[in-house]
Parts: sequence; C-alpha cells; structure tokens
Amino acid sequence: MIRSAIEGVPDKLKCGMRVSDVDPAKVTIGPSTGFDEETLTAVTSGRVDPAVRLFIETAAAMRGCDEPAADALAGALLESEIPADMGADALEKALAAIDESDRAIRSVSRSARLSAELSGLPEGVRSAVLDAEAAAGWRYAGPGIRVLPLDLGGSASAEILRISAGAAAPRHSHKGMEYTLCLIGGFNDGPGSYGPGDVSVADPDVTHRPVADDDGPCFVLAVTDDDLKLTGFMGVLQRLVGG
Amino acid sequence: MRPDDTSPRPPTRPAGDGLAETDRERFADLLGAVAASRDRSAYAELFSYYAPRVKSYLMRLGADAALAEEIAQDAMVTVWRKADLFDRRQASVSTWIFRIARNRRIDVFRRSRKPDLDPDEPMVLPAAAEAPEARVEAKETEARVREAMKGLPQEQLDMLNLAFYEGLSHREIAEKLDLPLGTVKSRIRLAFTKMKVRLDGDA
Repeated sequence: MIRSAIEGVPDKLKCGMRVSDVDPAKVTIGPSTGFDEETLTAVTSGRVDPAVRLFIETAAAMRGCDEPAADALAGALLESEIPADMGADALEKALAAIDESDRAIRSVSRSARLSAELSGLPEGVRSAVLDAEAAAGWRYAGPGIRVLPLDLGGSASAEILRISAGAAAPRHSHKGMEYTLCLIGGFNDGPGSYGPGDVSVADPDVTHRPVADDDGPCFVLAVTDDDLKLTGFMGVLQRLVGG
Repeated sequence: MRPDDTSPRPPTRPAGDGLAETDRERFADLLGAVAASRDRSAYAELFSYYAPRVKSYLMRLGADAALAEEIAQDAMVTVWRKADLFDRRQASVSTWIFRIARNRRIDVFRRSRKPDLDPDEPMVLPAAAEAPEARVEAKETEARVREAMKGLPQEQLDMLNLAFYEGLSHREIAEKLDLPLGTVKSRIRLAFTKMKVRLDGDA
C-alpha cells in the first residue's frame, strides 16, 4: 500500500519526502520543508501510534523540519492558564515519588557509556532510551549487535539497534512494514546507503541485511508493524508522499 | 476523555498573564539547578508555578479535578527525573513542561480514546521550504511567538489554541465550533503562517 504510493510519486516531493531514483524502497525525508499543520498536530497530540510519533518527531528534528513555533505557542498558553488549586500535600507527595524513583534509577548507571553516545540526539529519543535502559536494558543480538527494546505502549514495536563498525545485522524479513531511521553513523543494506536522518522503508517482501559503515558504530531506530495496525503511520506517510 | 465529560470547563483560552522574559530565564536557571545539584527548593518553586497550570490544562481537556491532579503530579515527577535532558537552547521551561504534560496525557488517555489520522482528509500543503541554518535559538523563538500572539485577531488565536494547545484535529475543531472543515483548515493555516512570517520576518 505504502510502496505503491511511493512508486507513483515524483523524485522531489513537496512535503519533505524524497524517494531515491535508485531504489523505491528507500525513502529519505528531505531537509526542512516542515509538516502541514494537520500532520503536525496529529503527530504531537497522540493521534498516531507512539512508536510512529517518536519516529516522525525524531526524523523531523534531525532534519530540521520540526516546528518549534507550535510548541512555543503551547508553552506560552500554559503560562497563561489560571492556576488550579493543587491538594495541600501535593509537593510532599511529588517529593516522595521522586525519592522512590531516584532509588530505582541508580541501577541505570551501567549503561552510561551508551547513553553518552546518544547524547546528541533529539530529546524524545534520548528520553525513550533512558526509560528503556531503566527497564529491559540492552540485549545481545549477535556479534557486534545490541538491541534496546522501547516500550512505548502502542501496537507497533520500536527498538534501537547498535551495530558495531563493520558489523552486519542478521539477515531478516518481516511480516509487516519495517521503518528504519538512521540516528548515528551510517549503514548500507545493498540497494542503498543511509546516514543520520535517512529513513529506509522495507515492505514484507524485502529481505535485507544492513551493514554498519566501518568508521564507527551505527545506531538506528527501527519500527515494525507486524500486525499491520499502523494506520496512523500509513496516514502520515501517505500524506507526506501525496498518496 | 473529551466527548462526554460533565466537569466544568475553564474559559475557551488561557486568559492569565504569561511570564516576562526575565522570569523565563530564571525558571531555566532553576531547572538547571535541579539537573545539576538535585536542588529541592528550586524544584519546589517550579512545582508551585507549573503544577497548578498543568492541572488547569488537563481540566481544560476534560479531565476531572482528581485525575488532572494525579497526571499533573506525575508530570512534575517526570520534570525532576528528566531535568538533565532539558536544554535551554532548544526550548523554554514552559514549552518543555508542556511537552511532558502532553505526553503524560497521551499515555493516560491512549487506552480510552484512540482515533487515528483520518485518511479521508485532504492534506494541507506545507509552507515553502526554509533553510535549516535559519533556525533561531529557542529564546528568540519564544519571544517572537509571544509578540506574534499579541498581533493575531482573537479568532485566529483561538484556532491555534485548539489545534496546538488542546491538540484537536481539524475535524474536531470544525465540529466544536460548528464551522465547515475547509474554513477551519484555512483559518488555522492563515493564522499559523502569519505567526511564522512574524517569526521569520526580521531574522
């Protein structure tokens, strides 16, 4: 469905998605064209799957096509709210909850090195990584490959992969579409090379084997919709490609 | 959460005074102190300003007082936990806390209300491309957004409020205001474009 939408559109698209001449499965989000207002609010207000939201917000921020003015407006409106009375012990309760969460968070420090590698990324994804490190943590997934599953609470699955320089992710296919956003470093999957901010879209027919560039580790955010429930993402992508 | 609540709703749009630039700077310092030295008195000050406003925001979206308080609490605990992710070059404290509150709200209400993007809605074309290097610092954006808000007609500001603050879809706004969808789209587009022109105007 998405693929057919992508194949039919011109190389340079008005809304920020560009499809490579070489490979229709490779989609690159172009720099700084911004989202239309409806997509922007749909993505930020939770009307799309949380994994998709993280994916799109991160890609947009990395490519400089997010919209700081929209959130700044919301921030200004928050300041203008007439305060609603909180319970008398609200602060004490918050501080008690903080003490508890501080105790739980101490165990996270073992992952500090990986977090440092990710420190330059947009806040949403850094925050998701911190939460995931505090929960399941990184898993070994083959030589040179580590996986961090993100529990975002939606129907799509999202994970961060860390592929060591020159290492290859296991050859794999998937039941649904797989969307990969290159976060740091670069990789090559045969038909295409990807750098930070590039998006690869693979449909269920594609069996691929991403290999990290040999100049450093590569981090990607991968979102898979095995259940084919990603109507939100379908919608956003279709809007973006004009389908 | 929205359609069938019966709780009293605040006025259409926040009507209090915003922060002066010096206060915004001070709040950024306070949040910096929370991040750097887990400063509880700095946190208490942020809490007393933001928690009641976040609660108002949640009640505006239809939560009853008890639920709004609970989510506001939770959001403020997240503020403490994630203070070291705050980057004052990227956003003001208000914008940053708004995002946290919005995300908590989405997490909580995702279970009960989950309309996806409406695939039938035609898309609104985005504004022309702008160069990434033209991006201004957050402080600048914040100041100019406030300036631009003052210059917008009430009606357009209300539209932006519903779309970007309350997070309603264009279709929901059309239903709420009993206006044709096309009118809503063009008004939001006009208002947002106006605001952005003011942002980019004398960059």
